[in-house]
Amino acid sequence: MKGYTGKILKVDLTSGKSHARAFDEKHARKYLGGQGFAVEIVYHGMPKGADALGPDNVLAMAGGVFDGFPVGTGGKVAFAAKSPATGGLAESIMGGSIGPELRHAGYDALEVVGKSDSPVYIWIEDEKVEVNDAADLWGKDTREVPEILKKRHGWDVKVACIGVAGEKLSNMACIDCDDRQSGRAGLGAVMGAKNLKAIAIRGTKDLVPADADKLLQLALQYQKVYEAAGSFVEDTKYGTGEFLGWVNKERGVFPTRNWQESVFNEREKIDPYYWAPKYVTKNKACFACTKPCGKLFEVKSGKFAGVAIDGIEYETLYSLGGACGNPDVESVARANELCDLLGLDTISCGVAIGFAMELYQRGILTQKDVGMDISWANAPDVVPKMVEMIGSRKGIGDVLADGVRVAAKRIGKGSERYAIHTKGMEPPAYDVRGMKGHGLAYMTSTRGACHLRAGFYAPELVGKFWKWEGIDRFSAVGKGPMVATMENFMCVYDSVGLCKFSRGFYLIAKLPEVIEAITGLKFTEEELLKIGERVHNMKGAFNYREGVTRKDWLLPPRILEDPIPEGVSKGHKISVEEMNMMLDDYMKARNWTSDGQPTPEKLRELDIA
Amino acid sequence: MVKMLVPYPEKCTGCRFCEMACTIYHDKVVNHANARLQVHRRGVKVDFPSVCTHCVSCGEDCCVLHCPVEAIKKRDGHVYVDQDECTACGTCVEVCPFGVMRMEEKAFNCDLCGGDPTCVKFCPMKAIVYEEPKPEQYEKVKALLKEEE
Repeated sequence: MKGYTGKILKVDLTSGKSHARAFDEKHARKYLGGQGFAVEIVYHGMPKGADALGPDNVLAMAGGVFDGFPVGTGGKVAFAAKSPATGGLAESIMGGSIGPELRHAGYDALEVVGKSDSPVYIWIEDEKVEVNDAADLWGKDTREVPEILKKRHGWDVKVACIGVAGEKLSNMACIDCDDRQSGRAGLGAVMGAKNLKAIAIRGTKDLVPADADKLLQLALQYQKVYEAAGSFVEDTKYGTGEFLGWVNKERGVFPTRNWQESVFNEREKIDPYYWAPKYVTKNKACFACTKPCGKLFEVKSGKFAGVAIDGIEYETLYSLGGACGNPDVESVARANELCDLLGLDTISCGVAIGFAMELYQRGILTQKDVGMDISWANAPDVVPKMVEMIGSRKGIGDVLADGVRVAAKRIGKGSERYAIHTKGMEPPAYDVRGMKGHGLAYMTSTRGACHLRAGFYAPELVGKFWKWEGIDRFSAVGKGPMVATMENFMCVYDSVGLCKFSRGFYLIAKLPEVIEAITGLKFTEEELLKIGERVHNMKGAFNYREGVTRKDWLLPPRILEDPIPEGVSKGHKISVEEMNMMLDDYMKARNWTSDGQPTPEKLRELDIA
Repeated sequence: MVKMLVPYPEKCTGCRFCEMACTIYHDKVVNHANARLQVHRRGVKVDFPSVCTHCVSCGEDCCVLHCPVEAIKKRDGHVYVDQDECTACGTCVEVCPFGVMRMEEKAFNCDLCGGDPTCVKFCPMKAIVYEEPKPEQYEKVKALLKEEE
């Protein structure tokens, strides 16, 4: 079997022992790799009803089919485990180099089970696998940890780690590698609960493609496609925030001040068209990315002098910017840096801060509760301070550290009305009142509100994508089957390890020849989509098994009751009737029960046991 | 003038595509340890490529000078290892100031892909350019490498 290592490494932190198991071509054909492998490991490896923060939770990490091979933007690694935030599946993709390195060490996937009594890190050097003491790493931030481990094991060792937020079991704790993050759904807390501070890998083995010449030829062909694309120029200059101005003004769906508004009037102050020339000192890329959207953002003077981050990404400009009414880009950058260092998901963290600020506006939280004046006008000072408090669980930070659903329960006093989430996870930067299919996607995403599980913002904001044209973003009609199809489509990208920003270049029909050049395995477009459907159904079956049902999918009150107050999407909301119609359409398209359970026939059809 | 690989550290994004393309082209497999050039990433601020300068900027740490059996030679301004004479002692790997001399059964180094370097073709940011050697660029890389010691 070319292109794969053919092995999965299992490490038991309770016993400290590890062993590698082989998988065959049938397994590769069924799940592809990356997210497919990671989801399968958790689905089959974790006993039903396990505590997300207990020893029985399974943490999986898997490199995609393209990981380690020269495929532009094809170096993504997938993590999965049961989520402490949602109670369902947490899975998250990142561009850190840990995935390719794992494959060079001889494993397509890593399965971590059990729990250590004291802090440890996993050290993998090809066949050598050790569980080592990490007492000296505990309490360290996500930049200090790799620095220490690289000094110990060599400069080219790759490290994925958690920050203090993960140690403190925050539901918004992420896993960091190379200043890129698997941010969502609390995977950092899963590591923290296992007392696992870091995974360090050095791999020296060859990765052998089926047809090296063909692979190189394809790589060159796509290189030219990328360099000729308009988005290459925009992403390279401004990063992912390049369309912020357009989303804000032309579409009016940039959630602002905890989703009270959808147009941020001060957006020019956080729009990269204005800040990139001043603060960006260099381009940054994920592993194998030839279309870099990463930016080295440096603040050279003033109050926030010394800040240096890979960012600021579009989502973070929303969460720590617009969602908190924060128009100070240097403050956003500092808050972003603190999130990175503490190991916090910037989306969930920012939304939680915005939530607290709205509660303060409404008098539900007071200066006495918070310890400072968190009025919107004070956002530039408040936001970085609140990030620190959340990361270290100090004061109000402890209340907010597990996300808005838990925080609303702790605070009470009607605060649930202002908690914006689905399944317990805070939403990204698209106000779905003005893009209803994307609203459905927030509900159906198995990890909670997410823009990347269906990527439905692209079809709805642009009006066309792939095989669809003339899409009306304000209509709820016909969105169910489209969202289901897009979810299957996206599962393929997450399983081959290709960046979703490349989905417009490598539309799914173009993937088979790349996969064949690497693995020698032939797939049709339909077969790939079937794998995507299998992976998504496995996520759905996991969620239902763990008790996440339709009641947990529903949109928060603000989306259903408060129309967008101004801008080009003014007056729009998703009504309860529209929500239920879209959900029913979706369940029918998936052949799931109305409660969100994949039917036995569907699971049989997809060969899921 | 003989053309060489010239690194521009400030343009490198750290994607390591050049390393992969290099080994796929030469060896038909990916193995970063055998790439004839190397991308370094240090913290959030620093990424840079280190390339073989074919004697232009190696100074006293020259593999040609240090090879105990004189197996490393120059032809048309390019350094190469005579595979018949190499004893695989590893001296060249140790002295190479850019850390890009490689060793499997015998030592080997960048051959500029016969005049059409693969790494250059794949660098989207033009952080490696095939042009007249620029010693000041090599010195920048040397300084960055020193910070790693």
